[in-house]
Amino acid sequence: MSALALAERTDRMPRTAAPRGAFLRERGMGASILVAAISSAFGVILVSVTGYLAAILRADPYIGDSGTLAFVLSFLTVILVGVAVYVAGIVTANTFATVIAGRTRQIALLRLIGASARAQRQEVARQGLAVGVIGALAGLIVGTVVAAVGVAVGTELLGIEDVSYGVVTPELLVPAVIVALTTWVAAWAGSRRVLTVTPMQALGSAVEATRDEVTRRTGRNITSVALFAAGGALLAAGIVLGLVSPPGVAVAFLGGILSFTGIALGATLLMPPVLRLIGRLFGGSATARLAAENALRYPERSSRMAIGVVMGVTLVTMFAVAIESTKAVLTASAGGELPSEMATVLDTFAAVMMVLVAISAVIAAVGLVNLLTLGVVQRRRELGLLRALGLTAPQVRRVVLLEAAHLTIAALATGLVLGVAYGWAGAQSLLGSVPGDPSLPAGPTLVWPAVPFLPVLIVVAATAALTLIAAVTPTRLATRVAPVEALAE
Amino acid sequence: MHISSTDLGLAARVQQLTKTYGTGDSAVRALDGVTIGIRRGEFTAIMGPSGSGKSTLMHVMAGLDAPTSGRAWLGDTEITGLTDLELTILRRRRVGFVFQAFNLVPTLDALGNILLPFDLDGRRPSALERARLDRLVDTLGLTSRLGHRPHQLSGGQQQRVAIARALATAPDVVFADEPTGNLDSRSGREVLRLLADASREHGQSIAMVTHDPVAASHADRVIVLGDGRIAADKPRQSAEEIAAFLLAGELSGSASAQVTA
Repeated sequence: MSALALAERTDRMPRTAAPRGAFLRERGMGASILVAAISSAFGVILVSVTGYLAAILRADPYIGDSGTLAFVLSFLTVILVGVAVYVAGIVTANTFATVIAGRTRQIALLRLIGASARAQRQEVARQGLAVGVIGALAGLIVGTVVAAVGVAVGTELLGIEDVSYGVVTPELLVPAVIVALTTWVAAWAGSRRVLTVTPMQALGSAVEATRDEVTRRTGRNITSVALFAAGGALLAAGIVLGLVSPPGVAVAFLGGILSFTGIALGATLLMPPVLRLIGRLFGGSATARLAAENALRYPERSSRMAIGVVMGVTLVTMFAVAIESTKAVLTASAGGELPSEMATVLDTFAAVMMVLVAISAVIAAVGLVNLLTLGVVQRRRELGLLRALGLTAPQVRRVVLLEAAHLTIAALATGLVLGVAYGWAGAQSLLGSVPGDPSLPAGPTLVWPAVPFLPVLIVVAATAALTLIAAVTPTRLATRVAPVEALAE
Repeated sequence: MHISSTDLGLAARVQQLTKTYGTGDSAVRALDGVTIGIRRGEFTAIMGPSGSGKSTLMHVMAGLDAPTSGRAWLGDTEITGLTDLELTILRRRRVGFVFQAFNLVPTLDALGNILLPFDLDGRRPSALERARLDRLVDTLGLTSRLGHRPHQLSGGQQQRVAIARALATAPDVVFADEPTGNLDSRSGREVLRLLADASREHGQSIAMVTHDPVAASHADRVIVLGDGRIAADKPRQSAEEIAAFLLAGELSGSASAQVTA
């Protein structure tokens, strides 16, 4: 066989040494499957619930075939699943980028013996597709089962007899397929680094890359700023319009989506300064500084990871603040007391929406745990050095915990600020024209953002719990590092 | 009668040290009843081929690894039997390290790395230590590099930062593990000269593990290990003498057959 033919074979089969599917045992892959499964199951359940609700509405003789309501429900489903899939995509891309950083030497070795960078990247993308398909299928099955049980229980509880709704429909495949494809694309996006691995890195003397500079993605940054500016302008226009009539909320809604997309895209612009600020609050002790600097070691990874949590916190807070502010205005306009049925409807709506958007936060949380774990795994030598120099095991624990806290506190603070702002903007644009005080002549109302205590407390408590949970595995791994062993690597 | 390390003029010593890896047929005896002391104020080179046990000996002496049997002292403190926490604090306060590579914490700048032993201890350097640090930074030519992160420094500069950190607390012993292994010959000579100066001018006890005869020729004393035993213990030697000795050991198949000390 000629050398060329051999190289080509190596190209096509770069990982023949490992049995097929062995990569699934690699750290990070399990989390990616979980993320895909959660978003797929979420999508399947939401599609089922929407379909079921539409069926109930159709059967109701009073509401009849309400096209508007069905449309609103589908629209909400699309938005909610869209957010969840988007967050899942970010998490997966990040995970793959981190996994590949840890595989650098292996990739370099394959490059050294003749595998092309492109083939290597395609291999990673194939693994992404496999992960996506496995996760999506698992989610599809779990989601369908949950939906079937839910529909049965709902029918029983509501005492509906004349509604027949078959859970298993072809539409359920839509979210599963979307999730599988998104995971594939995310793995491809996260594997960009493969192209920068040189065969030289397989040789022992190669300099260790210890710091990732934020790659300048001018195009993306401009898009993000433009989206944010345009969205902000629309949001402002919606608020102004809302002073005259309620449909201002539609304009504000569009502005909200645009500006929030801008924020998500511009995570690497927004989060590093926030992380730096929070890091400073930790003080100047050695453990605090080590932890604070770790989050900024790979600013891009940390920012993207934090933005997932930010999105969850923002959306939950937004619904809480919007509903609370709405209640405040309606209470004032009703002359001091809100009809209890209306309060119940609003609270229920808020609670349901908060739970639904919280799914995105759960997905982001899985990503966060994963990022911290991989961060420790890939830092074994550094931890060994620190242990040799006198970092005690309790200090190692503190560093890892502070590192987790650093990301979650930054995300929580950002999410709360954004959530209050968006929630207020929504309420203001919807209710700006509702007279706040019936005794006064009708005119524009300034809605005061009302921040409900309980939901915010739950968000804060959940974030604190996330911090602790996220630190468990990395702490276990980090305290097990023996200096001699790690330094010999 | 009890004889302490201090009475013997030793900064660190080990007695009948044995270290075995694995069990049964696959067991490897890395150290085989080693008894040796590192004299205070001296620059000692510990030599030997790969697998001779020199790194294991250093790891046990520095409190990084526990022996299978035998005892080890750092100064007058017996370190065999100490808990992980006690050993960690001991390393932080009384041991300095210079490794072959990956010596510095990449997220901290040079000054942060130098001050790490103090920071980990949760204290600021005293006025005396401050003065020593200033002198060190000046001698090592690091004054203009203090704000640089490791990736902005050359290999030689990184190694000098590591030396500054190792000397900063005036530890009982500085352990250097192949400190010139990753350097070009000029930076390597510079590092060896700095270590020798620290020992000669400031009485710093230094133990350097190396397999390079040129590096070992900078030391006041050369200990050679072979197959987990002390094969030789000689005063200052030229690189040629050391190389000739090692070569003779290699050719005869076992360095331990050449005990001449």
